[in-house]
Amino acid sequence: MGERRSASFYLLLAVFTLFVLFIYGPILTIVVLSFQGPTGGLVFPMRGVSLHWFAELFRPQSIGDIGGAFQRSLALGLITMVLTVLFSFLAGLAFRRRFRGATLLFYIAIASLIMPSIVVSLGIGAAFELLGMPRNWYGSALGAHLTWTLPFGLLIMFAVFNRFNPAYEEAARDQGASGWQTIRHVVLPIVAPSLLGVALFSFTLSYDEVARSSQATGFENTLPLELLAMQTNATTPVIYALGTLTTALSFIVIVTTITGVLWLRRRAARPRTR
Amino acid sequence: MSEQTKTEGTGITRRRALETTALAAATAIVGFPTVLRAQEPVTLRIAGTGVNAYNEIAEKAKEDLGFNIQYTTLVSDDVVKRAVTQPTSFDLLDVEYWMIKKIVPAGTLLGMDTKRIALFDEIVPIFTKGELPDGTKIADQGTAPFEVSFLEEEGGKTFASGATEFMTAIPTVYNADTLGIRPDLIGRPIESWTELLNPEFQGKASILNIPSIGIMDAAMVCEAMGAVTYADKGNMTKEEIDQTIAILTEAKKDGQFRAFWKDFNESVNLMASGEVVIQSMWSPAVTAVRQQGIPCVYQPLKEGYRAWAAGLTVPVHLDDRMRDAAYEFVNWYISGWVGAFLNRQGYYTAVLETAEEYMTPNEWGFWMEGQPATAPILSPTGELLDEPGAVRDGGSYWERMGAVACWNAVMDEDRYMVRKWNEFIAA
Amino acid sequence: MRALAPYLQALPLALVFATFFLVPVSLVVVVSFFDYQTYQVLIPDFVFFNYVDVFTSNVTYRTYLNTLKFCLLTWAITLILGFTIAYFLAFEIRSVPLQIFCFLLCTIPFWTSNVIRMIAWIPFLGRNGLVNETLLAWGVIDAPIDWLLYSDFTVVLGYVHLYTLFMIVPIFNSMLRIDPALLEAARDQGASAFQVLTNVVIPLAKPGIAIGSIFVVAIVMGDFVTVNVLGGGQIASVGKTIATELSYLQFPPAAANAVVLLGVTILMILALIRIVDIRKEL
Repeated sequence: MGERRSASFYLLLAVFTLFVLFIYGPILTIVVLSFQGPTGGLVFPMRGVSLHWFAELFRPQSIGDIGGAFQRSLALGLITMVLTVLFSFLAGLAFRRRFRGATLLFYIAIASLIMPSIVVSLGIGAAFELLGMPRNWYGSALGAHLTWTLPFGLLIMFAVFNRFNPAYEEAARDQGASGWQTIRHVVLPIVAPSLLGVALFSFTLSYDEVARSSQATGFENTLPLELLAMQTNATTPVIYALGTLTTALSFIVIVTTITGVLWLRRRAARPRTR
Repeated sequence: MSEQTKTEGTGITRRRALETTALAAATAIVGFPTVLRAQEPVTLRIAGTGVNAYNEIAEKAKEDLGFNIQYTTLVSDDVVKRAVTQPTSFDLLDVEYWMIKKIVPAGTLLGMDTKRIALFDEIVPIFTKGELPDGTKIADQGTAPFEVSFLEEEGGKTFASGATEFMTAIPTVYNADTLGIRPDLIGRPIESWTELLNPEFQGKASILNIPSIGIMDAAMVCEAMGAVTYADKGNMTKEEIDQTIAILTEAKKDGQFRAFWKDFNESVNLMASGEVVIQSMWSPAVTAVRQQGIPCVYQPLKEGYRAWAAGLTVPVHLDDRMRDAAYEFVNWYISGWVGAFLNRQGYYTAVLETAEEYMTPNEWGFWMEGQPATAPILSPTGELLDEPGAVRDGGSYWERMGAVACWNAVMDEDRYMVRKWNEFIAA
Repeated sequence: MRALAPYLQALPLALVFATFFLVPVSLVVVVSFFDYQTYQVLIPDFVFFNYVDVFTSNVTYRTYLNTLKFCLLTWAITLILGFTIAYFLAFEIRSVPLQIFCFLLCTIPFWTSNVIRMIAWIPFLGRNGLVNETLLAWGVIDAPIDWLLYSDFTVVLGYVHLYTLFMIVPIFNSMLRIDPALLEAARDQGASAFQVLTNVVIPLAKPGIAIGSIFVVAIVMGDFVTVNVLGGGQIASVGKTIATELSYLQFPPAAANAVVLLGVTILMILALIRIVDIRKEL
């Protein structure tokens, strides 16, 4: 930072800022409306200002189970994230070499991505029912989410390994590193940022998923499904309070983490400069 | 829980004692399986729309019966799908009667043995005979509950034409629906269904996009306009469907509709935000708008109401213990407390006498008899709904249920209707 | 052992797809040839009329055209926007923590469930919404703008809002792999900013662009939630038709529709892959 900035930088910065404002537009409404008075609804006008709905969030709801659904979605998102990173990284390695069925597998992955979600969901629901297996969020719904996040992870891995210079690995191997050591000490560090991206994204995709889960979740709903079902009765600004809280918490966690990382780095850098 | 095990006998008598002797006698004949109490507490999974999946009911059930109640709330469309394709994912189904017509042929429902329902004889005859409690016949256009109330045999896939020992579902709630309006934004009396398509409300009207229900609202409008004459609105011919859809499509192209809604909550938001001033609506949705301090009227119309009903039923997969628990829960459901709770939402309950015992005379007078409130009317959760002196929209039970013109329906030409409805939405 | 490695590495992925994609979807394809009745959901058979129904209804063509329109608009907008932002993040911001922060900044809204955000569009864009109220207060308009909510505009807006990130991520990823020295070199050789963009950045970012495009096209083609909520239920899409048929237990025609949709989408993506062979370019 700190070096000269071209005009294009400010132009791009403006575009970026506008985009951020745009994606935060609904969030802004959510935040404002979450402070509705006790008689307020989900739309303007505001009927007073209060913290009523934040308090309500921690009480049992009349309809729906936000707490339970939130925990399930969080857990499901994390499991999906770990599996997606692991499986797509492995598959990414596999695709760097030729193997029989590679093309087929690639097209299946693409097909899985583009298949209308509701159809995948219906198919999974029906298949489980036919086999007499119970559907639940950690089984059938997890599978449904993976059909959605894995193609994503795989394609990102393609983009990553695309310009990955095999010379690094060859060098490592020449130095006598085993296959595992090569991956652990050479490949992983290089692709780590992208893996982080895959992780972030697979979690987000899973956490927000509606269509693929709809027929595959079984008895206990995920958070988006629960929220959707809550729409079949009078819904209160409690859901906005949830949105505000989620956003605020995410911000706090992220800012803390980044500050922490920067601080650690500076500390780590200091002795060297001395 | 442990307390529940200890006080099993007294718990039941204490509750039962509140009820009339006739009911108590009926209970004595049927009795409850005591074996249930000896084991782990039962968890009943109830799937259905969120319309009556109140956690207050679950808590009360836990208190009275010791059961854990878990709800899966689903969008109406998903209820049918879930019941047909995933019957093992629930222990009790909270189902609307028009859905029953679609689900029963799939053979996933067992039906309810009326011998095990203590208050069977007290259930309003709308469900058992197709008449109002005073003996007058209720409208049978559409999928009237009576037509799909009984099965030939337990677990059967066909409906019986008259009363048998097996009900498809034990009725829980029902209501008479009409149009909701914003009187402050309309500023003149609304008396007929035709107003939904009145160009005066161009871009400010809405209809619900659940074909089985929306088509009935549309039929009420078209019939009132004199544009279409139906032999039976609830079972239209292809020509009648075509005519109805044509009128709707034309209105849509002229920009009559602001939006179509699918969820209860969407209808509340449309109305509360003022995006829409006249639309198909459900009674508690009107209440929800009013609770926000926004004027909203559930407008009685001269052509009458479109009615619906829902009930509880069991899937085939339950073992004896779970089935016993399901029956106990259903018996409890119609024994009064829940009925009063639902009546206070603006719904009607299937067994009126028991519900009355759990309501104050003021509440009963307001919700059921069309009397002016003598004290503030509160929602089940304690919010103020109406001031003293207010009268319920549409008046008493008799005025409202007596003016039912048709029921939510699944028609013989359902497949054609849904296709046409899709074309209307796509137009 | 070395020869076996790729198979072992690809195995988990293959297993997941076999169990949760191939088997269920084959089931759907089989069902698309079934017969159905109002009161009987599935009648095993081998009939083509579900497909005949799809191809003979003029609603089908109108619906597909509509969906394609949304798809193209969304694709064009998200591509330009996504590319610009990815470029900004990759080349103009040089500190990695700041890059990560900007990314997270764009991701946070997604952690508030889409269901909630969708509802929030009404108070944001509605007649009495934030935008209209603001514009009225500033005197820009005299009467609320109706088409801000429940229109084609809203649907595209919703898509751009939701899916630009899907474009940014892969493009950004492939841009990260471009050595900044390449850009310097091009500039040193006297290339204009525009030439650098078209001759260096875009070709090298192509795989990312292709991947992002696949995501956006695939999602928009199959969407039925966004179009329903933001279109006020008045706008048709193929996904919505399928969803409605499913909710009315008309599984065979829904399955037939899904198979057709899958075919159309695959064709579109094949065309994309022809322009950029993702696997070769990788």
